[in-house]
Amino acid sequence: MVDALRRAHRMIVPHGMVVDVHPTAAAVPVEVNGRTIGHVAIDGGIERHAAADAAIPAVVYDRLFALERVVEFDFFTYGDTIDELRDYIVENWRDARIDDDVVQQTRLALAEAPAGVRPRVLERVRLTILRPRRSAT
Amino acid sequence: MAIDEDPEGNEDAAFERAGLSFLDCRVLEIGCGDGRLTSRYAHQAASIIAIDPDTDAVAELARALPGVDARAISIDELSLPPSSVDVVLFAWSL
Repeated sequence: MVDALRRAHRMIVPHGMVVDVHPTAAAVPVEVNGRTIGHVAIDGGIERHAAADAAIPAVVYDRLFALERVVEFDFFTYGDTIDELRDYIVENWRDARIDDDVVQQTRLALAEAPAGVRPRVLERVRLTILRPRRSAT
Repeated sequence: MAIDEDPEGNEDAAFERAGLSFLDCRVLEIGCGDGRLTSRYAHQAASIIAIDPDTDAVAELARALPGVDARAISIDELSLPPSSVDVVLFAWSL
């Protein structure tokens, strides 16, 4: 990840910028009507996101980039049903799944929820802007 | 399938809060996927190279955004001249 940032440093103009958007290492809840039912199981996800988090201070420490701005936000993904959301995550997320017990509990919660409520998952996402500090070496 | 990503527009709002603009910029997007993020700034950028190893996703992006130079490769396979882009965007890929 540090290597990717070094490559980026070589490609951008001196007044350019790197923008990184990635989920934090926070657990990803499955929610119904704002209530957490369980969490998405992500194999190695915490380690992967933590490594991405660590890459930024590493290149700042190396004086390759200056940290300009960090903004965090909530990113929600909704499905019409929990089965649809489960299938989507398996197909599109890396090494992630919603386990059967969470699916079952979500079905029960949806049965009790007001009409129109859809299940969702919540990712906490960090946006970071970096500026190059010196020319590529 | 009716999957709905970020209908609240929190990502757009975060970009705005960060003061981000891609106006007239030469952008390299790494991890573009099917172009969900690309489509949000494509109208501003001067040019976009969007890469992702997922061949199907890149084909989808190329269909939706024909003006984008979409390549189904990883960053390790990318060769660009030094100082050739204004912005490098890591789209959920670092």
